[in-house]
Amino acid sequence: MNKILIQLFFLLNFVPSDSISEQVITRQGQVSFFSYTSVENIEAKNNQVLSIIDLSKQEIAISMLMNAFVFKKSLMHEHFNESYIESDLYPKATFKGNFIDFDPNIEGSQTKFVKGTLTIRNISKEMEIKTNIENIDGKFIITGDFELTVKDFEIKIPPILRPNIAKVISVTFRFEYQPYEE
Amino acid sequence: MFLFISVCFLSISVYYLIFGGEYINVVATEPELHLSSTSLVASFSRDEQTANDNYKNKVVEVTGSIKEISYLNNRSTLILEGNTKSSSIICDIQPNHKMKLKKLKEGDTITIKGVCKGYLKDVILLNCVLTNQNTNE
Repeated sequence: MNKILIQLFFLLNFVPSDSISEQVITRQGQVSFFSYTSVENIEAKNNQVLSIIDLSKQEIAISMLMNAFVFKKSLMHEHFNESYIESDLYPKATFKGNFIDFDPNIEGSQTKFVKGTLTIRNISKEMEIKTNIENIDGKFIITGDFELTVKDFEIKIPPILRPNIAKVISVTFRFEYQPYEE
Repeated sequence: MFLFISVCFLSISVYYLIFGGEYINVVATEPELHLSSTSLVASFSRDEQTANDNYKNKVVEVTGSIKEISYLNNRSTLILEGNTKSSSIICDIQPNHKMKLKKLKEGDTITIKGVCKGYLKDVILLNCVLTNQNTNE
């Protein structure tokens, strides 16, 4: 009898009442951006973006290293880091936000908005980003895209290179989360 | 002679304009620092600013135990053990070295050379190549 009680006690304590773990993480999120102009197309990808979602609070946090964006040409990488983003001074870009009406218990795909603050070069912008959330057995994949205006982040582009860089940059992202065990 | 130099200069400029130079060749670069994966992670978690000054944008050679091998987003990534459970080193392997990953498994000790990019929750190394492998057999 005692044995059964002890087992019950352990079961009640260690099986979470909610089958979904509270926090999920990815260390290998993917963020890409594109600049299309008639002169040239520039594309860069960062495959080591960190993101954590707190499912119960519906909060999302994202952080990435600006110098970890990979370009086709090293000269683009150099301009991006040294002149435009100044990644020595501002090494990281971050986003902190909340999902609106997101139910982590729903299986399959749902489209929701995330409202939050994007910070690049210490300049913060309030944003609302449409995302697709996929939930396969408690494994979350979040994808989406949005646009950024270069001018909003006080990025100085020399006049000679202005035709090469789009005024509006498109950004896409894909985060595949795992349960977070500290 | 002047013409020759001008042509040389011009072709070099054109080359850089078209190809934009090449990324750092990690295979040919002697690493500036050798250290264990645990001590690299420890120095970043202790003092990120100092560690950035010491390691950022430098070619470092790291020896450590493989925590995970990942092919997410069509990348080949080795994750090396750090000094704590929650921090590791994320090594993005150059595409021409990814065949070498097939012979590796979790727990193997390996030496990797790559460009250190900094620290989020983990240390990030890009353009990594495998320099030596000792499987635990």
